[in-house]
Amino acid sequence: MMQWDLTQALALFLHTLGYWWVIIPSVLLGILVGAIPGLNAANTIILLLPLTLAMDPEVSMFFMVSLYCATHLGGGIPAILINVPGTGGAAASTLDGYPMSLKGMGQQALAMSFVAATAGGLIASIATLLLLPFLSRIGYYVHSVEMVVIMLFGIILIAAIAAKNMLKGLIAGVFGLLLGSIGADTIYSAPRATFGFLELFSGLPLVPVLIGLFAISEALIMIEHEIVASKTGAHDKDAVWAQTLEGIHMAAQRWWHIVWTSFVGLFIGIIPGAGATIASFVAYQQSRMYSKTPELYGTGHPEGLIAPECANNGVGPGTLVPLMAIGVPGGDTAAVMMIVLQYHGIVLGPRLFLTTPNLAYGVFIAMLLAYLFMLLTILPMTRYLSRVTVVSSKYLVPIIIAFTLVGSFAPREYGFDMVVALVFGILGYLCRKTGFHVAALLIGVVLGPYIEQNLMRALRISNGDASVLFSSTLGNLLWAMLVLTLLLPWLRQWWVGRAAAPPRA
Amino acid sequence: MFATPKSATRREFLRDSVVVGAGLGLAPWQYAAAASPFPDHNLRAVIPTAAGGASDRLSRTFCDVWSKHIGAPTEFKFYPGAAGQVGYEIYLGKNAHDGYNLLLGNMDADVIMYVLQNPPYKYPQDYIYFCRLDSDDNVIFVPKDSPIKTIKDLVALGKKQSVTVGTSRLPHPGSIGMLALAEATGAQFNLVPYGGTNKTLNAVITGEVLCGIASSGMAMNLLDQIRVLSVFSDENKLSGLMGGAPAINKVLGTHIPDLPSSRAWAIHADVLKLYPERFEKINTTMKATFLDPEYQKGYIKTGAPWAAVHYGDREVCAKHAGLMIELTNRYRAAISASKKKA
Repeated sequence: MMQWDLTQALALFLHTLGYWWVIIPSVLLGILVGAIPGLNAANTIILLLPLTLAMDPEVSMFFMVSLYCATHLGGGIPAILINVPGTGGAAASTLDGYPMSLKGMGQQALAMSFVAATAGGLIASIATLLLLPFLSRIGYYVHSVEMVVIMLFGIILIAAIAAKNMLKGLIAGVFGLLLGSIGADTIYSAPRATFGFLELFSGLPLVPVLIGLFAISEALIMIEHEIVASKTGAHDKDAVWAQTLEGIHMAAQRWWHIVWTSFVGLFIGIIPGAGATIASFVAYQQSRMYSKTPELYGTGHPEGLIAPECANNGVGPGTLVPLMAIGVPGGDTAAVMMIVLQYHGIVLGPRLFLTTPNLAYGVFIAMLLAYLFMLLTILPMTRYLSRVTVVSSKYLVPIIIAFTLVGSFAPREYGFDMVVALVFGILGYLCRKTGFHVAALLIGVVLGPYIEQNLMRALRISNGDASVLFSSTLGNLLWAMLVLTLLLPWLRQWWVGRAAAPPRA
Repeated sequence: MFATPKSATRREFLRDSVVVGAGLGLAPWQYAAAASPFPDHNLRAVIPTAAGGASDRLSRTFCDVWSKHIGAPTEFKFYPGAAGQVGYEIYLGKNAHDGYNLLLGNMDADVIMYVLQNPPYKYPQDYIYFCRLDSDDNVIFVPKDSPIKTIKDLVALGKKQSVTVGTSRLPHPGSIGMLALAEATGAQFNLVPYGGTNKTLNAVITGEVLCGIASSGMAMNLLDQIRVLSVFSDENKLSGLMGGAPAINKVLGTHIPDLPSSRAWAIHADVLKLYPERFEKINTTMKATFLDPEYQKGYIKTGAPWAAVHYGDREVCAKHAGLMIELTNRYRAAISASKKKA
């Protein structure tokens, strides 16, 4: 890759800044797309293909990248305000973001999440720009075995979420894993439990499941209440700027938390196929594990919101690493970007940094600028967005159901998916009424297929020898960390108990 | 001066109505409608893969030029899922059999799906392939820094130990190629499916598997990361672009059939009987598109090599589909959980 000096870097920064007229509209569009469940960057870029194919390559790339980054931030808005994640990566944000809204701290939660999200994205973008050659090597060490262990970190989050009722949590998680096994198997593509529905051949569609479990079930719960915010939380109906500043201050106080959870997102984003949903859940689990007050998670704890938001936005730059450094897209959105660039005759990979450095490095600078513009545009909106929590349910519920049903239809344009959303909506409602955590169910549905794919692949490579799971140094290190994660609550309890025990006479 | 009009009797009224009705039925505009030029509205293409993929790109590039020859634009509908079966079922079950509706399929992979998944439609009774757009040969490749330098090295290694081979899916022409190679040489290849060509490429480049099999169109974009050992084609049309990689039969003396990934237009089989003139026009104009320099220009702009464009008529398509059916049944046990032959 090219060696840059400060003058060149500054010139490139100013060159990219000249595309502000592309970045700002795409940021605004991305926030809107991210906030609507069912819409995401990939299908928006596909819808706008006639536009991006007609644009200049730099313009189209900066447009797509800015849109992509902004959707991650936008997904957190409904997740916090009405417990409806706009994207899969924001599902974990509901765990502590929504309880904050219920307590009347929606504005603070939004401000905190925006600061965390943009900081997470900025940190990941800068790190990627500076460390790209190193980061691109991560893919050489993380393979199927390591992915199994990383996914298991997410799975044990089920136990953490279900701490108050372990049995129900495990039932929900295992049920989610069972649902996740629906569809063609990894090796032979033989359909399982599809009941003859072709639409289930590729498994349960994630977006309708997410929409049903969170959005529709939440809408059904909302019908039972006048407004989203609780009675105590809604007493102060006039939102003031001080609450936004309070949210910013809460985020700033936790700057170290922001930094390291951003890197969790970045590293997971680099792994092809991993994605924001996995990154946000793993970051949440890690944040809880190392917290001095893990019992506060799930009650509206700031770190519980910061961790998934940082990881969710740290993923963005990470997913572009394999695309830019190797030429292989790490996810669906990156794949569509690659197709647009190939149409323009641009071949991605390490050569791009030599042949068209303005484009190659410009992508990451565009991300930096996108996050800066995001913060400037969305932060002033927190005061008004948070008012959603005091809107009457008789207006909010039909809007949520209408938008989310359209959102469940959008990805594949199958009416079947709308039925899936409704079915999971009813399932989610029953879960909420009977004390089963929908997040535990979702984790099983999302992570189950990934674990199976990677496990089956690892066993296939080793011809069925299970010891392959302990055959790599990095894998064994991750296993050790996993065991520590499992033992940590008891170790902590023992340590605290020992420290609190009265001294022997 | 004028006679008072006589009221018609019921019989007279009925008689006159029949005469008028028959006249209207024979009216010129009836013939005009039936004889209206085809096409008189947009054509529709069903694509059984997701939007934004290679088929999307290729179909748009082709139809941009074809629309000038046939005189109407094409609308695209994407129905991904079930390895293409969703798209085929919708096309065959819900689209009118009037010549306005076409399907662009990955012919080889879709035929494999047809054999293994036993869908409720029949080939070639319900549909036929009639215009192959491209023929993207499948290639065997290794990472650039691999100690395996040639296809002979790979086969020699495979005779000593099981060699892991990354592939997009087991039911895939490339996978069948590797199985045929194993059968022909006695080498052991352990096929590891990654659920997509990009993931396969990544797995090979990062060293999780020793080698991989993928279409040349995908592999040639990464020639600074990989080395192509050989091509499953008697004639390596892209040899120059593949670093001189030889055709597999020429090097090893085997007789493995050509196993490309090719995309072809398909149409309802009964259109040939019901609207033969429409089919003739579609067929003729599609063939003319291949000769149009605008198509070449547009195709090259997508980054794909023009040498991969390989027109194939009905006969070529039928022959190739028949070969894929035969090979799929032959290697069914290795690429499918179902051991029952179709």
